[in-house]
Amino acid sequence: MIEPRPAYSDPFDPEVLRTLDRIDGVEDISPEWAWGNSTGRGVRVAVIDSGVDAGHPAVGGHVEGYVAITEGADGLVYDDAPHEDVFGHGTACAGIIRSLAPECEIYSVRVLGRRLGGRGNVFAAGIRWALENGMNVCNLSLGTTKQAFYETLHELADLAYFRNTMLVTAANNMPTPSFPSVYASVIAVAAHAGHDPYLFYYNPEPPVEFGAPGIEVRVAWSEGGYVTTTGNSFAAPHITGIVAKILGKHPNLTVFQMKGILHALAANVVPAHDRLQPLDEHVGEK
Amino acid sequence: MPEGNEDLTEARRTIQEQQQEIERLRRRHSDERFAEDLRDALTLAATTGAIAAPSQHSVLLQSIVETAARVIPSDAASLFLVDADAQELIFEIALGQKAEEVKSFRVPLGHGIAGLVAVSGQPMTVSDVERDPRHASDISVRIGYTPRSILCCPLVYNDQVVGVLELLDRRGASAYSPADIDLLWHFANQAAIALEQSQTYRNLTRIITTVMENAGQTDGTQGGFTRRTESFVRNLEEDQVYRRSLALADLVREIAWKGEDELALCEQVLRAFAHYLSARTSPMAGLEADP
Repeated sequence: MIEPRPAYSDPFDPEVLRTLDRIDGVEDISPEWAWGNSTGRGVRVAVIDSGVDAGHPAVGGHVEGYVAITEGADGLVYDDAPHEDVFGHGTACAGIIRSLAPECEIYSVRVLGRRLGGRGNVFAAGIRWALENGMNVCNLSLGTTKQAFYETLHELADLAYFRNTMLVTAANNMPTPSFPSVYASVIAVAAHAGHDPYLFYYNPEPPVEFGAPGIEVRVAWSEGGYVTTTGNSFAAPHITGIVAKILGKHPNLTVFQMKGILHALAANVVPAHDRLQPLDEHVGEK
Repeated sequence: MPEGNEDLTEARRTIQEQQQEIERLRRRHSDERFAEDLRDALTLAATTGAIAAPSQHSVLLQSIVETAARVIPSDAASLFLVDADAQELIFEIALGQKAEEVKSFRVPLGHGIAGLVAVSGQPMTVSDVERDPRHASDISVRIGYTPRSILCCPLVYNDQVVGVLELLDRRGASAYSPADIDLLWHFANQAAIALEQSQTYRNLTRIITTVMENAGQTDGTQGGFTRRTESFVRNLEEDQVYRRSLALADLVREIAWKGEDELALCEQVLRAFAHYLSARTSPMAGLEADP
């Protein structure tokens, strides 16, 4: 798993040291700067879930790629034929992402099936597939509480971080830690009660770092239907959609830059000189 | 001829004696094996801390579901168990007007809201159930009851989903809130522990029953031993020795939690002490009953 690396000082040799673009000052980061006119075009988003129903109006009739991972007798089986959504959960996430980034590419990585058991392995394989297939963002509205997968998922989350693949994860809906949402290398999201899809908060007490709409939200579901439901599962794709929009306009951002931009745009993050004013005046501006 | 008769009588007597000896040895062996099996069963009980009776567990589960439905005011509630072999959910407890009717249903995993919660391991609320394709509407139609709102929470024990706790029709609100989810999670936790203890007790009872049945089959002379064992098992909860063993098992478990090294040291100390005791000449040694 761990690949041999060159000496860690090699990249800083004057012969090879690269010059990179600096992002604008934090005071200049506005929604317009971050995602104005971006549709998420060219950004590859993996929805690692129960499948995506491409035909659902909320998804917009197209899914760019599929892989369904299952446990077979001789190990994991990868099927890249178009598939359906087993439950509707993945379609709900894809619908939210497309509502924010209508031209992003969606790849349905199906890891959730109708049977219990073996889910941890399949789930980890889904993340690995996304990393090996050049995904820019992964929506993980699921996780595992199984300690046995702590290490594997931690390693994958770090690998994603180093490759600039954003793992947007839903925090567990129950007060037990779920992986990979508790790792520092991912963007962990929980639900707030608002309904403005562009309104999100930063939580100064991680592991949950961002709050997005996910309470009593109307989402796409199976058989072309819609449901009103509650869960962090539906908050994460709101941030995934925004991340896809930002990457559409600013490709090659690192995960830490993305977190910095999201922090600057969070509704509860205000310039220090404005702090004396009530918070409500700022809510909804972004 | 008389000599031949005497020989024959002598031979019969020898055979009879040998048969008795074989029978005695067989009984003794069987008793020893029985004792071994019983010790295993008790070890299982001690390590899991299963002491309550199964009837108490079902009363406890019923009470947990009732209390959940009272604290989070709801018209109906159900508790499902996961049947991992059949990949189905079975109704264990059902409260509400249609309780008796729903009890006969089995829900395939991934079917309906309870089935989805079992597979995803995540709680879920729905507030427009009639239009919700997730809801197992065939059951609603068959029993003539369609809830308006649903809150469903998995029962997780040792990282495994062992069941699902579901509340139907929130009173005083159109939907279940995030605070309700959080609250139900605590009830689901209680139920998962109760369920797991009940399962362990059932396993234990099955082992003891099997052991006793096997012992009973050998012959009738073991009645005394079997009766003593039955009485011992019956009085398990009051038995002081058992309780002390349980406390000791808990102590060792507590040490085991500290780490591998601590457990190894604990084992070493106990073994050394046991070795010292067995090497010491016991004043009781001469009183040991000869079998």
